[in-house]
Amino acid sequence: MAVVGIEKLTKRYEGGHEPAVREVSLTVADGEFMVLLGPSGCGKSSVLRMIAGLEPITSGTVSIDGQVVNNVPARDRDIAMVFQSYALYPHMTVYQNLAFGLRRRRVPAAEIERRVKSAAERLGLSAFLGRKPHALSGGQRQRVALGRAIVRDPKVFLFDEPLSNLDAALRVSTRNELIKQQNEIGITTIYVTHDQVEAMTMGHRICIMDKGEVIQVGRPLEVYGNPANTFVARFLGNPPMNLMKAELARTDGALRCRVAGTAIDLPIAFAAAGTGAILGIRPEDLYELPAPAGLGPIAEIAVRVIAVEPLGAETLLVLASADGAQEFIARVGRQTKLNPGDRSVIGLDIARIHLFDAETTKAIPNGSP
Amino acid sequence: METTAPSFLTYFRRSPLLLFLVLYTVISGGPFLWVAMMSLRTTPEIFDAPYAFPLHPHWEKFVEAWTKSNYGTYFWNSVIVVVTSVVLITVLGAMVAHALARYRFRGSRIVRFAILSGLILPPQLMILSLFQILLDYGLYNTLTGLIVVYVAGHLAITVYILEGFFAQIPQDLFDAARMDGYSDFEIFWRITLPIGVPALFTTVTLNFIILWNEFLYAVVLLTDDDKRTLPLGIMHFMGSHQLDVGMLATGLMITIAPIILLYGFFSETMIKGMTAGAVR
Repeated sequence: MAVVGIEKLTKRYEGGHEPAVREVSLTVADGEFMVLLGPSGCGKSSVLRMIAGLEPITSGTVSIDGQVVNNVPARDRDIAMVFQSYALYPHMTVYQNLAFGLRRRRVPAAEIERRVKSAAERLGLSAFLGRKPHALSGGQRQRVALGRAIVRDPKVFLFDEPLSNLDAALRVSTRNELIKQQNEIGITTIYVTHDQVEAMTMGHRICIMDKGEVIQVGRPLEVYGNPANTFVARFLGNPPMNLMKAELARTDGALRCRVAGTAIDLPIAFAAAGTGAILGIRPEDLYELPAPAGLGPIAEIAVRVIAVEPLGAETLLVLASADGAQEFIARVGRQTKLNPGDRSVIGLDIARIHLFDAETTKAIPNGSP
Repeated sequence: METTAPSFLTYFRRSPLLLFLVLYTVISGGPFLWVAMMSLRTTPEIFDAPYAFPLHPHWEKFVEAWTKSNYGTYFWNSVIVVVTSVVLITVLGAMVAHALARYRFRGSRIVRFAILSGLILPPQLMILSLFQILLDYGLYNTLTGLIVVYVAGHLAITVYILEGFFAQIPQDLFDAARMDGYSDFEIFWRITLPIGVPALFTTVTLNFIILWNEFLYAVVLLTDDDKRTLPLGIMHFMGSHQLDVGMLATGLMITIAPIILLYGFFSETMIKGMTAGAVR
């Protein structure tokens, strides 16, 4: 049970021009499941390794329960970590792997046995305690790695992309298993991944990073619904949010936006200043007409269908604006009758429009509820 | 009759390889067999018929060589020098290799270069300076002196082999052990060494064979008869005026036997360490 705080954490690798991690500040509450999400090379693993004590800190602080641990060696931080490669000791049996950390901490033998057995039971590993890692399947190895963290009963769990070596089916079941375990054990957890689905489904909160900086922190649906900039907008969601160049004009107390050859009257609450902007709309907020009942005002955009991608439950339409200048994706029902080459009109849910500053790419706040 | 077993044609196609292997075995194994046969025959018998089979083996020649001509002393000197050297080389070499493979520290490249440059220096080049240094430190004509020279001389190749192997051990294992609470030395002892066993076998066997047969340093750095190692002992049978071929062969067999045994036990592990090396 612990609160993990990081304050202006910076990491500069030798020979690197830019810092890998730049003034990252974040507080992870007691028992919280925090996901660090970002593309590869965004510094999320460096942050994790600095919290673990595996990587020296260039500047800033890491604290656990208010105590700065910058100078505490990894072995004394009482943190357990699950690695992407699992890092099971190949020369030890599953039992020895699980007990290795406890033996070093001088836990009495009987207690070690009790804890290892209970963790093995919890993870369904009891039958494999005598096996060496090379005789286990990928999923079993993953569970041993998790078990090794659990038996330690640490203050904090760290996960470094633990599911990326599993195949798709196993990943889903292991993901659910991890969520269940974390809920039951309730230990503060920091989880690094580049997979937005993992982030959305597992995290109590997610922290999105790019180029060594924190871009946005918040609950998954909050971040999904209100991305702080175009990077977050495109990183979360599959297919990503459509971004289109737009021109803004404020006339007679109305905010008019020209995009894809269409003029749309926006809610006046957008605090847009200049005339250039980026309009963002998620694929699921585009509709075939007539739009379903109960939606607010709809803007109609003339489009040409470029491709139709039926996914089974739904169908993705790749569309081009009538003038051909913009391309975007709409997520529509599977019953769509559109074919590539067709010209049609698509509806855009005005209430769901996001606006971003063309220069800074930051979201333009929308004052309306 | 039709068979599914390898046909004549298969054997025919493989025959060049087979021929090569037979030739190679004869060339490398023949002399050994010849010495083995001679070791059981007396010198007059050998002069009578050099290649004859020992129909009446003289096993007592081994006892004679061991007792009468100081062979026991040579043997134990060799055991002491070689075993001590190999143990020291292995422990020190593994520690150096671990450090070079695991830690990035200031000057690590220079240290690596300095150690590995020892690989290219021919031993003849160092013999004079070593002689002088050992004399200065009172280690000339002592087994300790020879051990020091052997250890120094064989660290380079040992570090070279072990570092290549250790560097392949995934860094995550070391990080995991650190998170599990182990110190740097404990990680070396409990992770690197056990995982590196195949590579360690390779260096132990290699060093043992080379040092067991080492002649140049031994002949220069040891003078007393009761300090000589086996290779020097063999030279003893070769007087300037006469050559006791029979006893020489017996002495050679005593010298070779431990190596053959060692190789027999460890060859498989050694080859595994030289070829595979991957830890998964």
